[in-house]
Amino acid sequence: MTTATAQAGATTPAQIKYQGTIHELQKQLMTRYYDQLTAIAQGGPGRSAQLLIAGNPVEILRAFDMIPVFPEVNALQLAVRKTSLPLIQKAEELGYATDNCAYVKADIGMWQNGGVAPFGTVPKPDILVCNYVGCNVYLNWFEHLAELVGAPAVNIDIPFLRTAAGTPTDEDVTYVMAQLKELIQQLERITGTEFDEDKFNEIVARSARVGELWSKIKELTKRRPAPYDAYFDSVTMMAPLYCLRGTPEGLDFFERAYEEMSARAETGTGPLPQERFRIVIEGPPPWPFLRAFRDMFSRWGAVAVASTYSTVGGLWEFGFRHDPAKPLESVARHMLEANLCNRSMLQRYSQIERYVSEWDADALVIHSVKSCRLFSAGQGDMREHFVHDRELPTLLIESDLEDPRYFSAAQLRNRIDAFFEALEQRRVTAGVVAAEAVVAARAATQAPA
Amino acid sequence: MRYSAGVDVGSTQTKAVILDESGAIVARALTDTGAYLVRAADRAFEQALTSAGVRRDQVGYVVGTGYGRFNVAFGDTQVTEISCHAKGAWAIFPATRTVIDIGGQDTKAIGVSDRGEVLDFAMNDKCAAGSGRFLTNSAEAVGMDVSEIGDRSLLAKQPVRLSTVCTVFVESDILSYLAQGKKVDDILAGVHAAIANRTVALVRRVGTNSEVTFTGGVSRNAGMRRAIEEKLGVPINASSDSHYTGAIGAAMYALERMRSASAAVA
Amino acid sequence: MTLDLATYRDVIEDREFPTVREWRERTGGKVIGCFPVYAPVEVPYALGMLPIGLFGGGNRIEIANADSRFQSFICSIVKSTLELAFVGKLDLVDGLMFHSICDPARNLSSVMERNFPERPSIYVHLPQNMTSPHAAPYLASELRRVGAALAPIAGRTLTDEDLWRSIDAYESVRGLLRELYALRSETPERISTGELYTLARLVTLMDPADSSKVLADALAEARRREAKVKDRIRVVLVGSFCEQPPLELIESLEESGCYIVNDDFLQGWRWAQRGVRRGGDPYLALARSYLDDSVHLSTKHDLRQPRAQALLESVGHHRADAAIFLGAKFCEPGLFDYALYRKALDAAAIPHLFLEFEEKMWLYDRVRGEVETFVESMLFAEARV
Repeated sequence: MTTATAQAGATTPAQIKYQGTIHELQKQLMTRYYDQLTAIAQGGPGRSAQLLIAGNPVEILRAFDMIPVFPEVNALQLAVRKTSLPLIQKAEELGYATDNCAYVKADIGMWQNGGVAPFGTVPKPDILVCNYVGCNVYLNWFEHLAELVGAPAVNIDIPFLRTAAGTPTDEDVTYVMAQLKELIQQLERITGTEFDEDKFNEIVARSARVGELWSKIKELTKRRPAPYDAYFDSVTMMAPLYCLRGTPEGLDFFERAYEEMSARAETGTGPLPQERFRIVIEGPPPWPFLRAFRDMFSRWGAVAVASTYSTVGGLWEFGFRHDPAKPLESVARHMLEANLCNRSMLQRYSQIERYVSEWDADALVIHSVKSCRLFSAGQGDMREHFVHDRELPTLLIESDLEDPRYFSAAQLRNRIDAFFEALEQRRVTAGVVAAEAVVAARAATQAPA
Repeated sequence: MRYSAGVDVGSTQTKAVILDESGAIVARALTDTGAYLVRAADRAFEQALTSAGVRRDQVGYVVGTGYGRFNVAFGDTQVTEISCHAKGAWAIFPATRTVIDIGGQDTKAIGVSDRGEVLDFAMNDKCAAGSGRFLTNSAEAVGMDVSEIGDRSLLAKQPVRLSTVCTVFVESDILSYLAQGKKVDDILAGVHAAIANRTVALVRRVGTNSEVTFTGGVSRNAGMRRAIEEKLGVPINASSDSHYTGAIGAAMYALERMRSASAAVA
Repeated sequence: MTLDLATYRDVIEDREFPTVREWRERTGGKVIGCFPVYAPVEVPYALGMLPIGLFGGGNRIEIANADSRFQSFICSIVKSTLELAFVGKLDLVDGLMFHSICDPARNLSSVMERNFPERPSIYVHLPQNMTSPHAAPYLASELRRVGAALAPIAGRTLTDEDLWRSIDAYESVRGLLRELYALRSETPERISTGELYTLARLVTLMDPADSSKVLADALAEARRREAKVKDRIRVVLVGSFCEQPPLELIESLEESGCYIVNDDFLQGWRWAQRGVRRGGDPYLALARSYLDDSVHLSTKHDLRQPRAQALLESVGHHRADAAIFLGAKFCEPGLFDYALYRKALDAAAIPHLFLEFEEKMWLYDRVRGEVETFVESMLFAEARV
C-alpha cells in the first residue's frame, strides 16, 4: 500500500476534551487577577504597572506591591473572547494602519472604551514601564499609551544580543542594572515606599523556583507520548508565569502543574488518544481561532513537543534561573539573554534545532503571524534553512494572533492536511521500501543456493 | 470490472475522472461548481458515469479533492489537491519531480518523489497575489476573455513592467498604461511576466531536479507557459488533460486504496 | 544649472555603485554598507573605510530570491537589499552595519549572515532610554565596540585622532546639507526637492571629502539662480525616513503643485541639528550629539516630548501650509507615527494628506491624482477667502 488515506484513521476532534485540572485552576487564578485589577480601576486600593511580556521584570514591581499588567495578555484575552475585531476597527478609524500590529490596535481600541473588557476593567496604570526587549513595536506601543492614558512612562533599554558570542557584553549588563536602579528610585517616588530588599530577594527566590518547575514541566514532553501539548497547553501555563511569577499563588500553581503533568507522564497519558506525529511549533497562536486551529493538528494526531512561543517571556529550559544571591543582576540577565525576543533569528534556529533533536520531533510547523514581525520577518529563511540545510519537513502557514480577518480556515486546513498527508506517505513508503529490501535480501541470500 | 473515481471540487469548476483497473482513464466530466458544492460533485460524478457507461455500484472507491473535498458526500475519503496534483502530474508524466499549479485562489509549487508523493510544497502567501484571478481581472481590464489573453501576449513587441501583482490594483495599472498609449499585447505580456516571476520564485523554493509539469486550467494558456519557461530556463510539460490533473490524482489514490483493500482480503 | 544633475541621477540610480567602485579602485580601501536609518558612519570612515548607504533596489531590480526569505507583508527595502546580495550587487561591500530600528531590519541582519557568512554583519544597538544619564556613556561604549568589530576588516586600529578627523569630515557634509535645506525652505524656487534629494543621496555614495565639494558647488550655484515663484502650496513631508520613494515620485509631488520645504528623506545621513561638541572623548561626544541634538527620528523614542511635536514645529518653522505623510508600505514605525501625527495635525488645524509608496513603484498616476486633488482643494479654499 502506497496511499495516504490516513484521514480514515484520524480522530474526530469534536470528541476531544483538552482541559485538565490545571486549566481550571488557571481560569480561577486569572479571574481573581482581573477582579483585583477591576477593583483598582473602580477606585479601590492598590497599584498597577503596565509592562510587556518579553523578559518581563515583574520581580521589581511585585516588590512594590504593584500588580503587573501586560497589554499583550489583555489583547489575547480580547481575541480569545472574539471581541478583538471591533476594537481593531476602532483603532483603524483613529488612523492606525492595517499593517500595524493588531495587539496594539485592540489595546488602543480597548482604551477608547475606558479599559472596560469582557474579563474585567484595566485600570489606568501608575506607571508605564516599557521593557524594550527585542520588540521595536513595544516602543511605539508605550509611546502611544503614554499620550493616550497620560501615565508616567519610562523605557528600559535592553541591548539586543548582537555579538558573535551570543551573550551580553559587560557594558550591557552594567547599563541594564543602572536603569533598573533608576526604575526602583522612580517606583519609590511613585509609591512613596522604600524599596524592601529582603522582600525583593524572596520574590526572586520564588521566581527561581518557578523557573525550575517550568523547566521540569518542559522536560516532560520528551516522553512518548508527551503528557501535554507544548504549544496549546503551554499557553495556559504562560499567563500565571508572567502575571503571577514571584507570588506564593504563582509558585503553588507551578507545583500543582508539575504534579499533574508528571502523573500524566507516568501513566503514559497524552492530550490525544494517539500521538502520531511529534512537532515543534514556531510563532504565536491565532488567538481568535485557537480551538479550530488546534483541531486541525489533533485530527492528524500531531502533538507539539516544544514551542518557541512559550519562551517569549523567558527561556528557562536551557538552564537560566533567577538568582537570589544576585537578584538584580539575574533580573537584568533574564531581560538580556534568557528570553526568545532578545535573541537573534540564528539563535532561534539553534533553539529549534535543539528542540528537534532533544525532544525528538518529526517536523516543524511555522505559524507566521502578520502582526508580530519580531517573529515573522524572515520566517521564509527559517523554512529554507530547515528544509534544505536540515532536511526537516517544515510547514509554513499564515494567519494572525489577534485580527480574525487574517484567518482563512480553508487555506490553513488545506496546507496542514497536505503536509501531514505527505508525512504519512513518507512513513508508508519508508515501510514499503524496508519491506522490499527485506524481500530482496532474502532473495539474494537464497539465490546462490 | 471494478472502477475507481476522483472528484475535484474547485472554486469555479468541478471535475470527475473514472479509471479502470489498469489505471486507464475511461471518462472525464466537467461542470461549474456554483453555490451548491454537494450537487456539483454529484453532477460531475453522474456525468462521468454516463460517459463511461458505468453504474455507481461498479465504482469501488471514490476520493474527493479540492477546496470542496468534504462536500463529496458519496466519497470514501478525501485527499488535498496538493497531494492529488502531485500524483496526477506524475501519472501523466512519470518523470515529473516538480509541479506548478496556478489556481484561481492560489499558486503552488510541489516537489514530487519518484512515486508521485509530495516531498515539499510552497504556496503564495496572503497578499502576494498573482493567481488565476489576476489573469481574469487583467482580461476584464482590457475587455477580453481570459482564454484569449495568453495568445495575445505572445504577440508583444515591447512588454511593459507592472508595478504590482495585486489583483485589486492591476486594473488601474493597466488603465494607466492604456492611457499612455501602450499596446494591449505589450500590457498582456507584462501581466504574464508578473505572474511567471511569482511562480518561478515559488518553484525555486522546492527546487527543480528533473521534469517540471504545469497543471491546472491556466496551463492551457500558451502565453503563461512561455513566460514560465523563459524565467525557468527549462521546458515544462503541459498535458491536454491538465485541467483534470487533480481529479486524476484523486482517482489514482482511489485505485491504490482499492487495490490494497483487495490485497488485504486476499 | 550647470551642475551635472543628470549624471548624479544616474549615479544614485545605478546599483553597480559606480562612485563606490571608483573609490575602491583608487584607494584600495574597504567598503561598509549601512542600512538606514542612522548609522555611526564616522567609525568606519575613521578606519579608512568608506561607509555607504544601502537603500534597497529601487524600482530597477526584480525581487526573485529574497521573497522566499521575507513574506509579502514585509516592506520592500528589506527584501530588495537582500536581493542585491543574492544577485551579487553587494560584492563590493566588505561588511554590513544594521541598527536596532525595527524588527524586520534586525532579522535581516541575521538572514544576511546566514546566507552570506563571508560578509560580516555588525549589529549596532542604538539606545532608547533618553532619560537615563547612563545612555550616553553606554552608546559611547557601543561605538567603541563597533570600532573594535570593524578594525579587523580595516586591518588597523582606531585612534581618537582618527575619529575626530572623521567627525570633522562628516560635520562638513552635514553642515552643507543644512544650508541647502535652509535655502530650499527660504526660496524653494531656487532648488527643487528632486535636485536636493539627488545631492543628499550622492552623499551616501561618496567619500565626504569629495561630496562636500559637490555640495559646496551646488549651494553656490543655487544661490545665484533666478527663478519664477510658482503658485504652489508649501508642504512638510514626513514618513520616508528609511525606504526611499522613487525620484520620479518625489518629482511628481512637486509637479502636482507642492513646494516641499522640509522632509525626512535620508535623514540618518544628515541627522545632526548642530555641530558635535568638541573636546574630550570623541565617542562620548558623538553619543551625546546623537542622543540630544539629532533631528526628529522616527526610530528614536524620546519620551521627553510628544511624538508629533517636532512635526508641528517643522510646519511652523518652515511656514508650511500642509503636511504630507509619505510612508513606505508595510513600514510599521512610520505607520505608527502617522496615527499620532494625524491627531496632532487635526488638533492644530493643519491640512494633511496620507500617501503610501513602495520603492519598486513604477506608475504614479494614483498618487498624483490624490496630491493634485489635495492641492486644488487648498488653493481654491484660499481663493474663496
